[in-house]
Amino acid sequence: MDSLQLLLDGFASALTPINLLYALVGVTLGTLVGVLPGIGPAMTVALLLPVTFTVPPASAFIMFAGIYYGGMYGGSTTSILLNTPGESSSMITALEGNKMAKRGRAAQALATAAIGSFVAGTLATGLLVVAAPAVVAFAIAFGPEDYFALAILAFTAVSSVLSRSVVRGLASLGFGLAIGLVGIDQQTGQARLTMGIPQLFDGIDVVIVAVGLFALGEALYVASRLRHVPPEVIPVGRAYLGRADWARSWKPWLRGTALGFPFGALPGGGAEIPTFLSYATEKKLARGVAREEYGKGAIEGVAGPEAANNASAAGTLVPLLSLGLPTSATAAILLAAFQQYGLQPGPQLFDHNPALVWGMIASLFVGNAMLLVLNLPLAPLWAKVLHVPRPYLYAGIVMFAALGVYALNASAVDLIVLFVLGLLGWAMRRFGLPVAPAVIGMILGPMAEIQLRRALAIGAGEVTVLIKSPIAIVLLLLSALALLTPLLRKLMARRRGERITPGSHPE
Amino acid sequence: MEPTQSKKRGWWRPELGLALALLAVGVYVIAGTLNVEAATSVVGLGPRFFPMLVGGAITVVGVFYVIDVVRGGRGDPEESEDIDADAPADLKQVGLVGGVFLAFTALLDTLGWVIAGSLLFFGLSLALGAEHRVRAAVIAVVLGLGTYLAFVKGLGVNLPAGLLEGVI
Repeated sequence: MDSLQLLLDGFASALTPINLLYALVGVTLGTLVGVLPGIGPAMTVALLLPVTFTVPPASAFIMFAGIYYGGMYGGSTTSILLNTPGESSSMITALEGNKMAKRGRAAQALATAAIGSFVAGTLATGLLVVAAPAVVAFAIAFGPEDYFALAILAFTAVSSVLSRSVVRGLASLGFGLAIGLVGIDQQTGQARLTMGIPQLFDGIDVVIVAVGLFALGEALYVASRLRHVPPEVIPVGRAYLGRADWARSWKPWLRGTALGFPFGALPGGGAEIPTFLSYATEKKLARGVAREEYGKGAIEGVAGPEAANNASAAGTLVPLLSLGLPTSATAAILLAAFQQYGLQPGPQLFDHNPALVWGMIASLFVGNAMLLVLNLPLAPLWAKVLHVPRPYLYAGIVMFAALGVYALNASAVDLIVLFVLGLLGWAMRRFGLPVAPAVIGMILGPMAEIQLRRALAIGAGEVTVLIKSPIAIVLLLLSALALLTPLLRKLMARRRGERITPGSHPE
Repeated sequence: MEPTQSKKRGWWRPELGLALALLAVGVYVIAGTLNVEAATSVVGLGPRFFPMLVGGAITVVGVFYVIDVVRGGRGDPEESEDIDADAPADLKQVGLVGGVFLAFTALLDTLGWVIAGSLLFFGLSLALGAEHRVRAAVIAVVLGLGTYLAFVKGLGVNLPAGLLEGVI
């Protein structure tokens, strides 16, 4: 098989000593920052972007793969050991995980999360190896109108799925699209919405947007509502898993993987829905001890969702690498990382830069194995990170945010833009607007414009060119469906007089 | 969110500010795009079409958002580990943190990263409730100096030396 050979080449590049070192630095930094309370995987990647500025692309992406998976691992440690919901993707893990920890089974909860993440991550990365080239083969035939329809689908799906209120999801998307418009139009050289500020001619860098909305926004939000009693951290020893717990864990791991991967690959699917589904499935399938323990700390309720969470992280990479389509905030920032190096993910990337793509995929396997080794014995160490006093933690986050943004262009104007975006991020958090649509809109908006103009240029101004291809029609119908589904669900719920389950929380 | 407050002020809700801001952004995108000169020698669409589309869409969403807020709709404020979701928003704290950040922005180029960065950390940790001033100051200096050495000397990132030019 062709892609198998390429993957082996990828391993050859990922396993060189220097790249192994980059992978190790990536997973360590990713776990460390991911463990910090209040920091999700998206913010982890955004904050660590500047670290990779001076590294050559192939190594940088190997490091990124490590940061990405490391951030996911770190998040689950936080949610098990702290009795408060953390980032949306590991919120479900906290339900049973924290109860297990309280009953003195923290070591087992952490172990099933770590081993489950390893199993799911490895299997799902294997699926990525198979799926990505298949999608690429299919996407070769895509015209600009299809890519435009794909972007519309990503916009609508992400806005309507991630928020209980569609109008707030769309509002967030609108902010992102407007930010994406700032700068010089690449085709005609006209400055748009720059207010005559020369520093804005190149547009607003995505690092500023991500760091502003996530890091500074979070710090301001925490400042406005700081919990003055420090949260209780459950002490934990080395993470391990007994024979009985292995027997109870392995099936939920596999089922979680099966749920997580496809949802991760869908626009708007994300990690929230599959983790929730996995939790519900395990609850339904629970028998005997598990049934009694469910709700009081059943290991199945940690194993399944945690596997689903990591599998969806790998699933997200399928549309990202093969179509250039980000389906989550984290993926959008990864896409921006590619753009930093002048690379555009999509079928061409597999063609022109196979070494880079397959090196990154191979290092996902490598990083996953490293994380397992890093997480089982070092759990007590990561637990210590949770004790960092909050004033220092958030002051440090803002300091690193400022450093990363200033390092981009050595310009104070960027810091002011960062501040304005931080205020926006704070307001969005406060009023329950999901942040992901803004980040995706900002990054995908300019690409949607290019494809739209290309399509209309080919069609000589005829708007009908946008619905000429069957693929585009299907994608646009799906987008309409994504917008209408929440409305229909609301109507149905009203008729039945039931409350809708709060299925998802925005990142 | 704050029932007493919304009752007191009648139809006004804090979220209306954000909704109106979105509406303003939509109008601004349209108005700002009208100034853009359409180039004559371009095949297909000029630089105005897409921004007008986006501006129009934002304006429509903004109107719906305003209506939703006025009719009493609301989203779920984000939950997080260190957030007391039931506490009322403390705007003074936000102002304090924002003020420290803006002061840092103004002083960075003159003072340099080590001093300005340390002051940023020190100011923010006190604003966020750090109790030990001396400890906060020590951590601030260590971080300011450490990041400068690591990023400038180690990774070759460009940060201003400011007053300490030539010293480190």
